[in-house]
Amino acid sequence: MISSQDAITWIAVISAIILSIYFMMESMRKPKEPEYETMEILECPKCGYTVTKEFEPGDFIGMIKGKCPKCGTPLIIKAIYEVEKKNEKNLKTPNNL
Amino acid sequence: MGLEMAETDWASLIVQIFWLLFFILLFTGANQKIQMKLWSMDIRNKLRIIYKYFNDDEDKVKNLLKNLGVASPELLFKRVLDFFTIQPVDIEPTDIIKRLDHLLRTSDKSFRRLVASYLPGIDRYERSLIETSLSIVAALYMVYKIIRHYLLLGEKENNWILLMQLELVMPQIMRIVETYHKALDAFTTGKPIGDGVGPLVAYRLIELGEVVSRRIVEETSITELRLDNRRYIIIKAEGPGSNVGHPGAVLASVIEDLKGGVDLVVTIDAALKLEGEENGEIAEGVGAAIGDPGPEKIAIERATTKYGIPLRAVIVKMGLAEAIQGMRKEIYEAGERTVEYIRRLVKELTPINSTVVIAGIGNTMGIPG
Repeated sequence: MISSQDAITWIAVISAIILSIYFMMESMRKPKEPEYETMEILECPKCGYTVTKEFEPGDFIGMIKGKCPKCGTPLIIKAIYEVEKKNEKNLKTPNNL
Repeated sequence: MGLEMAETDWASLIVQIFWLLFFILLFTGANQKIQMKLWSMDIRNKLRIIYKYFNDDEDKVKNLLKNLGVASPELLFKRVLDFFTIQPVDIEPTDIIKRLDHLLRTSDKSFRRLVASYLPGIDRYERSLIETSLSIVAALYMVYKIIRHYLLLGEKENNWILLMQLELVMPQIMRIVETYHKALDAFTTGKPIGDGVGPLVAYRLIELGEVVSRRIVEETSITELRLDNRRYIIIKAEGPGSNVGHPGAVLASVIEDLKGGVDLVVTIDAALKLEGEENGEIAEGVGAAIGDPGPEKIAIERATTKYGIPLRAVIVKMGLAEAIQGMRKEIYEAGERTVEYIRRLVKELTPINSTVVIAGIGNTMGIPG
């Protein structure tokens, strides 16, 4: 028969072990960092047509790249910036489920 | 009786052994040795991660160099990784800025010459990207070497205070190292970084105005234009390569050329935000917003003080990661807002037909002009 004092001691020992493991795992866990993708916005200086594309190495703001599909004027890179990559789960909206 | 003991006293025996061990460890100092071992194991693990980052980045840049025709990039790496600049004597402050400026410029030129000697046929744009990429790899290697030095020293001398300090500072160092490691991607591909928000604002102002003249001095562009019925002189690093130019020295020479005939000087720069502040927050103040070691900043302060020209600063706040990695959307948008902010500020502070000098401070990679 285990006395109540022994039971308390056992509970304390087991709790201490569980807590130690929990804190160790907690300290090892790393928060997930967001991933980014680089986009560039191309703009037609004549008709204002804009298109967003993925950044290609060597591109820079103000660079002439491609032609406007509407008026044929050379397109200019207006902006280059990074946006957070969207999670697969987040992309599912009620409409496309 | 023995059976009784087996049934009842196991738990108290464990507790007694625990206390006995506890006191033995406490009085022999072995607990401190265990703690030191744990710290050094943790530091060693983190050091391995730093070395992995360095190795990965080194391989990446070596491949880049091989693609550009460098047969043995190892030789270049050997010279670049241990390249150093000795700080000037500071117990004698006379002309320290001149000496520091001289050393920084010499260091900069020597580093560029060294890289150029291995890449003779390459254009300036690509060479600037390689130079900065090499600097990142060298910085990671330096951090690795310093951490390894203190770890080995702490272990050798049983210096638990040294190991404890290192252990406590490691999370901060790891964050900086990871930021540098991730920044390499932007520098190998030439995309604008957060620090480029100053040059971006300057470039947008050039786009908006009616350009009168443009010249390049010390890898820094000076563009004169008319905008909002005022004469604007825009100073920024020459782009679109990875370049910060010498905006301070150039701004001072522009003011001297105009014999102080300037009504307002505004510097725009990216500034590290405090924890809790938002990325892309705009703030204005007084002074020279430029984060150089000293010579550029003091040149702006001296020139504006000499002629009594109001010196204003506009900053865009961001974290270290946002500053040296690819420009995030919120920083880009803040840059666009800053253009309007500057125009409003200039209209508020100067009458029509005034001369205003605007300096967009920062790395202009991916931004021309």
